[in-house]
Amino acid sequence: MALLEGRGLSMAFGGLLALRGVDIAVEEHQVVGLLGPNGSGKTTLFNILSGLLRPTAGQVWFHGTRMTDLPPWKISRLGIGRTFQIPRPFAHSTVFDNVLVGVTFRPRHRYHCPQDRRRETERLLGIVGLAEKAAANANELSLGERKRLELAMALSTRPTLLLLDELASGLSPKGREEVIRFYARLKERGLTIFAIEHSFRVLAQVADRLLVLDQGTIVADGRPAQVLGSPRVVEAYLGEDDHG
Amino acid sequence: MSLTTLAQTLASGALLGCFYTLMALAFSMVLSVTRALNLAHGDLIILGGYLGYWFWSGSGLHPLLLVPVAGAALLPLALLWQWLFNRLPEPKELSSLVLTFGLSLLLQNIMLALWRGEYRLIASESLTGSIRLGGLRLNQGRLIVAAAALAAVGGLYLALTRTRWGRAVRATSLDREAAALLGINVDQATRTTFLLALALSGGAGVLFATLHYLYPAGGIELTLLAIVLTIWAGVGRLRSVLVAGVLLGVIEALTVAWSGPRWRELVVALLLLASLLARSGGLAGGRSH
Repeated sequence: MALLEGRGLSMAFGGLLALRGVDIAVEEHQVVGLLGPNGSGKTTLFNILSGLLRPTAGQVWFHGTRMTDLPPWKISRLGIGRTFQIPRPFAHSTVFDNVLVGVTFRPRHRYHCPQDRRRETERLLGIVGLAEKAAANANELSLGERKRLELAMALSTRPTLLLLDELASGLSPKGREEVIRFYARLKERGLTIFAIEHSFRVLAQVADRLLVLDQGTIVADGRPAQVLGSPRVVEAYLGEDDHG
Repeated sequence: MSLTTLAQTLASGALLGCFYTLMALAFSMVLSVTRALNLAHGDLIILGGYLGYWFWSGSGLHPLLLVPVAGAALLPLALLWQWLFNRLPEPKELSSLVLTFGLSLLLQNIMLALWRGEYRLIASESLTGSIRLGGLRLNQGRLIVAAAALAAVGGLYLALTRTRWGRAVRATSLDREAAALLGINVDQATRTTFLLALALSGGAGVLFATLHYLYPAGGIELTLLAIVLTIWAGVGRLRSVLVAGVLLGVIEALTVAWSGPRWRELVVALLLLASLLARSGGLAGGRSH
């Protein structure tokens, strides 16, 4: 059985159908990429999967538990972490405190001694390469650093599934290389990743499987080479440059 | 004005300011966690005061003992308030004004029906008399009120900064969605914030009733003061609320001492305008959330 499974997911905003009966399945320990032109419903799907939106129709299961009606905090405790396309750390707080929040409230592997929580926070900052910025204010970080902070925050709850929303976009080529290495490292740690990226090239390098959304429906699903060669995908992206 | 009178005025203003701080903290907690402006805040304090007066005239207990009683009496209302706030449509900042303006009128009329329009004061003998401190003569009642208010503020500060509950409430008030995605039970944080804020309001009402006469419409002025202090200090900034509260108490006392009570409200209104013009982020600076 898939770790995460969504069936018949639809989302209507007034008269606009953002998702039309989407079926998804993410297998454990895989990296699954989600591609699609702007406005195709990628972030809407993520908002449903993390509980921020309730779908108009359809159901989501995680580890076999139906989670469609659960509030976001319960979904987080089930083991789903996420990042946002536009990072939104707690403003006016230090990088360290931002990560400490998730460490403090995680449901599993919780530390009762403040010293242990601080050590765990430092470890997570080390993973994303922000150890030296621990005392900096989250507002002062560059975009790339804020994305890494988001990743550390998402990891702080000890998720089994990570929903990553455009981790690589807006970064320099060097930053993108780094993100690709992050994907590989997270996968090595046994995490399952469902990732939106705007760039084919990033996903082609890291994903085991690709899904393509267009106008609220899945138009392709398969191995990267297979999907990127499909005429339907080329059509969906026609006229769009791949900035990757 | 002589130096002694000036010192006297400053001291009694600071004591009054401690009460203002307590009142503003409860208001700003609800605002920061729910983004809803509770215009009935002052009326809840007055209700707490009336309940305190009612218990006091019935039992003759020391008013300080009635502070927790009045606080507990408002707990059911906290659950009602939260239930109503949950159902507000977006944008909550606006729709909450309509709801709480209605609740404010409702409370005023209920109090008018129950206690009529008569002015009430908890004039306990245990609160009269004065204490000499150096050359200063301080009203004992005000000292007790200030001490109780400061104790409540201090306890709240410790709870918000040192406990797991406090971290959940602060994270929720910074960014509700982000907090929820990190596994924080934001609904529980909201509910406990309401319970605590209304308990503090009820208790503050008893303290208020020992200083000022109660009348059913008296809450409006308290709500205005809470708004002024919150904007002045910046939403959710604990230490600056304390500074702003004491400062407002002192300014008010000085105004009254120099020109009589009729300029009091005007000065408060001018302060509100000036603080809005000067810095939108409050005394602590920076952007507000």
